[in-house]
Amino acid sequence: MSLTKVSLTNVVKKQYVYKLKAYSQVFMSLIFLQLLAVFFSLNGVGGMAGGDESIDVEVKYFSSDYVTAFTMLWGFITAILITTKAYRNDDFVFVTNRVSSNLSNAVFLLTASFIGGITAMLSSYLLKVIIYYFISDVPIKSTTILEAPLELLLGIFSTFLYIFLFCALGYLVGTLVQISKAFTVLLPAAFFGGLILDGLRGKSGAIAYVFEFFFTESSLPLFIVKIIVSAGLLFSGAFVLSNRLEVRA
Amino acid sequence: MLFNLDGTKPIYIQLSEWLENEILNGNFESDQKIYSQYQLAEIFNINPATAAKGLNILADEQILYKKRGLGMFVVNSAKEMILAKRKNQTLKRLVQEIVLEAGRLQVSKEELIEMIKTADIGEAEK
Amino acid sequence: MSVIECNGLTKVYGGTKALNNLSFKIEENKITGLIGRNGAGKTTLLKIIAGLIKETAGELKVFSEKPFNSLQVSANVIFLHDQMNLPTALNLKELLETAASFYPNWDRELADRLLDYFSLNPLQHYNGLSKGMKSTFNMILGLSARVPLTLFDEPTSGMDAAVRKDFYRALLKDYIAYPRTIIISSHHLNEIEDLLEDILLVKEGKELHHMPVADLKEWAIGLQGNTAVIGEWTKNKEVIYTKSIGIDQSYVVVRNHFTETEGQRARNAGIDITPVTASDLCVYLTSKTKGGIDDVFNKG
Repeated sequence: MSLTKVSLTNVVKKQYVYKLKAYSQVFMSLIFLQLLAVFFSLNGVGGMAGGDESIDVEVKYFSSDYVTAFTMLWGFITAILITTKAYRNDDFVFVTNRVSSNLSNAVFLLTASFIGGITAMLSSYLLKVIIYYFISDVPIKSTTILEAPLELLLGIFSTFLYIFLFCALGYLVGTLVQISKAFTVLLPAAFFGGLILDGLRGKSGAIAYVFEFFFTESSLPLFIVKIIVSAGLLFSGAFVLSNRLEVRA
Repeated sequence: MLFNLDGTKPIYIQLSEWLENEILNGNFESDQKIYSQYQLAEIFNINPATAAKGLNILADEQILYKKRGLGMFVVNSAKEMILAKRKNQTLKRLVQEIVLEAGRLQVSKEELIEMIKTADIGEAEK
Repeated sequence: MSVIECNGLTKVYGGTKALNNLSFKIEENKITGLIGRNGAGKTTLLKIIAGLIKETAGELKVFSEKPFNSLQVSANVIFLHDQMNLPTALNLKELLETAASFYPNWDRELADRLLDYFSLNPLQHYNGLSKGMKSTFNMILGLSARVPLTLFDEPTSGMDAAVRKDFYRALLKDYIAYPRTIIISSHHLNEIEDLLEDILLVKEGKELHHMPVADLKEWAIGLQGNTAVIGEWTKNKEVIYTKSIGIDQSYVVVRNHFTETEGQRARNAGIDITPVTASDLCVYLTSKTKGGIDDVFNKG
C-alpha cells in the first residue's frame, strides 16, 4: 500500500470543517448566554436616582453592553474548553499533529468570534424590540440598520476583535492549565491578586493599564494592529507550550 | 472449522495434505494452476503466509512447480508421486504406530492382522 | 522495507518502566499479534507508534520518521482502541464522513455495508453505544480507512463470539484484497492465531519472542508421565512450566529439541508427548514462576 503525503494546509482545512461540526455545541451556549444577557439588560444596565421635595427622578439606561460582555466571557470560556483533554483528543482520532490542531483551533475561534460578534449586535436589536413592546416610554435610538450602517459594521467588527482577543487569552490559559494543574490556582490568584493590589495602591496598576490599552483606543487601524499582535502573541505562546503535550486518556 | 485445531498437526501440513487429496481426487490435472495462497487463505480462514507455507512444502517435494508471477502449477507425475510418498512414509509410519500400540496393549500380531482384515473401509474389494 | 524500527525503547510513567529497552522490527504488509499480559506495555507501545506519546529513551521510527507530532506518520497510521474519545456532537454517519475526509483510501460502501450488517444505527451517537458496539464501530472505522499501518488494541473487548468471528473474517478478507501492515494486540491468542503471521511476545516492557506463529506453535513440547521419569528426560533441558498431577505424575513444558526418534523413545518410556498451543505457551512464558498460579496456593 503506498503512503499518503499530506500538506499542513490541507489537514488544517479538513480539521476546521470537522470542528465546525464537532464543536457545534458552543454555539448553543452562545445563544443561551446572549439571551440571558438580554434578560438581565431588561432592568436597565445603568442608572441613577434622585429627587427633592416635589420630584423623584429615576434614570435607567439600556444598552447591549451586557450582551457584549457576556459574549466576550463566552469567547474566553470556549477557548479554554477546546484546550481540555476531551476536545483536544478529538483530533488525534484522525490525522493531526499539534501544529495543525492548534491552527485549526485558532481558525475555529476566529469563526466563533465572528459569529459571536454578529449575534451580539443582533441581540441589541432584540433588546430594542422587547423594550419597545414590553417597557413603555423608552426613547430608542436608531431603529433601522440603514440609518447608520457604518456604525453597525464598526460595532460588529470591534466586538468581533474583542471576542477574539479574549479567545486568545482563554486559549493560552487553557493550555497552561493542561500543562500543569498548578495553574488552575496560580492564574486566578495572580489576576485577582493584581486587581486587589491595584485597588489598594489607589492608582492604575498593571491590569487597569491593560484595559486602558485596548478599550480607550480611538484610532481604528491602531486598534486592529494592537488586537492582532496581542492575539498573535497569546496564540503563539500557547502553540509553543502545547507542542510537547502528550495525549492522555 | 475445516482444520483439526487440537494442535496435533501444524495447519500448513494439514493444508498440504488437503491439497494432495485434491490432486489425487482429480480436481487438478497436470500443468493446471493450483489455488493461490490468497485463495487458500480465504477458503480456510488463515493467514496467506501460512497458506504459502503449505504450498511450499509441495513445491519442495516437487509435486508443484512455480511459474514466476503466475503461481503454482501441478507437476506432470504429481498423482503417482503423492501415492508413492503416502505409501512409503505416511502408511509406513501409521503401521509402525499400530504395531507399537498393539504391543503396548499386548495384542499379538495375528490378532492385529485379523483386526485389519475385518476393518470396514466402506467399499468392496478394489 | 521495515515499517517500524524500534531500538532500546524505554518509557517511564511515574516511577515505573512501562517499556524497558524494547527492540524489534516490523516488516511491511504482515499481520503481527502483539501478545502479553496486562501491564506488559502493549498499549504504551502502540501509543508511541501512533505518535500520541513520546518515548523516555531509545528510538522508534515509523516509515522512517519519528511518530510524535509527525503529520506524515499520523496520515498513514490509524490507531483503534477502547479509550478513543469520539466527539459526542457527531453521530455515527457523520463520524464516518469525517473519516472519509481524512483518509484518501476510505471505502464508503464498505463502511456503510458493515454498519448495516452489524445493525448499527447511523443516527446514533458514539457515547450512547454499548462497549461491544463501540468496538464494532471502531472496527468498521479501522477496516474502511485502509491505512498503510493499522493498529488494533484489544479490538474485540465487549464483542460477543459471533461478532468476534465476523471481525476476524472481515479483517482477513480486506487484508487479502488490500494488503497493509496490521498489528493486533489481543488477549484471545487462541482465536486469532490463524489470522496472524508473526507474534511479538512482550514481557514486562521487553520483547521476549518475535517469530512466525507457526514457529511458536512448535517451539515447545509438553511431556506428561511419571515424575521421576520426566525428571530424567528433562535434566538438561530448559523447563518452562511444571505442574504435578496426582501423586507421582507431572506435566512439564520444555523447549522442543526432540527429534522423531527421541520422541519415539520417550513414548516407549511411557511419556505422553503433546504439542503446546501458542496461547498456552505465551501464558507460561510470561508467568512469574514456573508453576503459575498454583504456586500461590502451594506455599504454606
